[in-house]
Amino acid sequence: MNKEELLKGLREGVIEYDEDKVKKLAEEWLKAGYDANEGIFEGLAAGMEVVGDLFAKNEYFVPEVLMCADALYAGLDILRPHVKVDKGKKKLKGEVVIGTVEGDVHDIGKNIVKLMFEVAGFTVHDLGKDVPLDKFVEEQMRTDSDLVCLSAMMTTTMVGMKKVIEKIRAKNPKVKILIGGAPVTKEVAEMYGADGYGRDASNALTEAIKMISSLREMRREDKI
Amino acid sequence: MTKSTVIFQPSGRRGRVNSGVTLREAAQELGVEIESVCGGKGTCGKCKVVVHEGFFEKYGINSRLSNLSPMTDSEKKHLKNGEIASNYRLACASRVEGDVLVYIPEESRGGGQVIRKAAGELDVSLNPAIRKYFVKLKPATLEDPEGDLERLLKELEKTHGLRNLKIDYPAAREMPEALRKGGWEVTVTVWQDKEITWIEPGNSERSLGLAVDIGTTTVVGYLTDLETGEVIEVESMMNPQVPYGEDVMSRITYSMTHPEGLKEMHRAIIKGLNKIISKVTKKAGVEARDILELAVVGNTCMHHVFLNINPEYLGLSPFPPAMHSSIDVKARDLGLKANPGANVHLLPIEAGFVGADNMGVVVATEPHKQDKILLIIDIGTNGEIVLGNKDRLLSTSCATGPAFEGAQIKFGMRAAPGAIERVKIDPETREVEYKVIGDAKARGICGSGIIEAVAEMFKAGIIKKNGNFNPEVKTDRLRKDEKGQYEFVLAWAKDTSINKDITVTLADIRAIQLAKGALYTGCKILMKRYGVDAVDKVILAGAFGNYIDKEASMVIGMFPDCDLDKVVAVGNAAGDGARIALLNRDTREEANKVARKIKYVELTVDKDFQKEFMMAMHFPHMKDKFPHIKNVLDRIPG
Repeated sequence: MNKEELLKGLREGVIEYDEDKVKKLAEEWLKAGYDANEGIFEGLAAGMEVVGDLFAKNEYFVPEVLMCADALYAGLDILRPHVKVDKGKKKLKGEVVIGTVEGDVHDIGKNIVKLMFEVAGFTVHDLGKDVPLDKFVEEQMRTDSDLVCLSAMMTTTMVGMKKVIEKIRAKNPKVKILIGGAPVTKEVAEMYGADGYGRDASNALTEAIKMISSLREMRREDKI
Repeated sequence: MTKSTVIFQPSGRRGRVNSGVTLREAAQELGVEIESVCGGKGTCGKCKVVVHEGFFEKYGINSRLSNLSPMTDSEKKHLKNGEIASNYRLACASRVEGDVLVYIPEESRGGGQVIRKAAGELDVSLNPAIRKYFVKLKPATLEDPEGDLERLLKELEKTHGLRNLKIDYPAAREMPEALRKGGWEVTVTVWQDKEITWIEPGNSERSLGLAVDIGTTTVVGYLTDLETGEVIEVESMMNPQVPYGEDVMSRITYSMTHPEGLKEMHRAIIKGLNKIISKVTKKAGVEARDILELAVVGNTCMHHVFLNINPEYLGLSPFPPAMHSSIDVKARDLGLKANPGANVHLLPIEAGFVGADNMGVVVATEPHKQDKILLIIDIGTNGEIVLGNKDRLLSTSCATGPAFEGAQIKFGMRAAPGAIERVKIDPETREVEYKVIGDAKARGICGSGIIEAVAEMFKAGIIKKNGNFNPEVKTDRLRKDEKGQYEFVLAWAKDTSINKDITVTLADIRAIQLAKGALYTGCKILMKRYGVDAVDKVILAGAFGNYIDKEASMVIGMFPDCDLDKVVAVGNAAGDGARIALLNRDTREEANKVARKIKYVELTVDKDFQKEFMMAMHFPHMKDKFPHIKNVLDRIPG
């Protein structure tokens, strides 16, 4: 297989949630001596982008997306250790703190969004679920992350997001804050003072995928 | 044209309507029935509705009375001052100018809801918490001037062997008059052999109780004869807390975000129950004070709000309830208009999300007394599952959402006249046969209807295992909507009362996939924890469980494979549990013990949860086999 065929295969493997295929092709990609980063971005991530489209068009539902994510993770595990860090290039910082807020133990949606950030090349500080509100503030300060992502799947816990946002803003007004989860609406996001929102898993996913697209664009233009 | 969001409660129907339309027109557009005798001319005053103001987190709307056109003279004529102050309007005269949340009170609702919570026969020995004793006393004389109470207590001990009785305050107040009015012959009500709760002159044998099931959506009261165990009257209503939120979580949020929220919801349910009491007693020709004992079930949030206990901590992990144990409260302390001495017994609570209602189900189905392993699924706005037998019991709760009750479904409605409740699709022609509740044209689809529709669509090859429509299917019923999404027509506009095709959309199927996937995952994880691959019997409970088609529910994969003959629907088992606790005080003690024995399992923290949930979203399942319906599944075309 030539380089183009391998990339196409990686993309298809992710889209068809064929973990074995992705693993096999990722190995071959490395064996052929190609750049791991390119394999991730032009293969795996490009495949996930198509998955996002299929999801937005309702052709894929949560189960399919989760299976695609599994396939993508399988490939990432193989390729990521071989990514060369080129210190000469200007590096986009991209650090994000993510977690499900206090009182909430649902994390499927959060994990999908986390995956998207990872694919997009962000360094993700995942605080997990049922995270005490102050922990978000501390972690943001500690890592100096540009982005904080809060997730809540219940209306009762969503209320806590407002407090976190206020606290982070008080310490560091420049941080971008995204909130998401089943009960989150545009109005809630505005009222709580968030910079963006994902109405539900689908929206958060679409947003995150858009982010990957723009990152890939930037990468192609050699900005990263 | 600008659009505004209008939400109608209690049905939960919502939509964007053009500004300037009346609430009555908006209701018609959204398929909500409002009483109208004059046809919207503003002359009959029957279409009274209430605007609930405030920011509603759950819907993301800021509902304001000022988002309606100013009050007209005809409205002022038909509304009382108290009503105007309470945000009442006439639906035919108020025009929508912004977002509003509108509550349609019971009396303004068109078309009665078919409440599927009728009372069935129970197998229970009669031993209620209260007993009546007839006693004759010697009148007080100058020679024997002992106080009334002491005189009474002596006689009760002598003739009935009752010792160390205390007297409740209202009974003490009633006593002197009752004794003299009855010529020193009285009937004494004694609660749990401990306390005199009421005294009546003469011999009164009538002993009535009220069993109450406070559902998130529906509240039912069963007026019961404690001497015979017979249900005399049943009365039900929408839970008056619905305007504060359709589900438990949004109600907890309401109480967290509104300083008076808990009090408002508490008052609403008490007022609602008083209405039920007044209706059943009127129908039975008795007085409210004839109700001497009450037994109440409800999920943990309903339980807490009913008692005016802060439900906030139920909404946050680790979701502890304020109490597990059952509790007895005086009806008068809650403001319930029963007998002033009446006691209200609330069944115990298993866990934050498995409340006294599920305990009612356990009391009624008695898994703790069986050798066989039972899987009990109680389907309501939340799904609660109990698994096990006399040796060990596990329980869990899964967020099914209201899809099974017809909410969140495009043409979903509650089980009321006009709701499609049965569906058959010919696998060859893909033609649809359906049955509608009541003598009416189709207006929407209720819970049992949507389950059958999805099962039949799957069986006819119209939808695939993963829930997607199969575009290869040739029928003009399968088409694309204005947004290019597939939908399937169940009823053509000409056959409906809303003059619109009634369809099942892809979003509807997704909602069902999530709901049934949650239930299946709950069953599967409990079975895994229990260490069994199969169960001996499946019990489907819930007001809706009675009407649900067993085969259809297995075809879509609501629960793991099982011999269909071993699947039984028991109807409203929670309400049955309340009735049993009302009739037999020993079951109360037993319930307290069992409640503490049942181990609650939190699904979302199980390491396999995500994977199981993902696989359970397919019809009937991504991997699990269903040998007992193999013949049905094998016939699916394609």
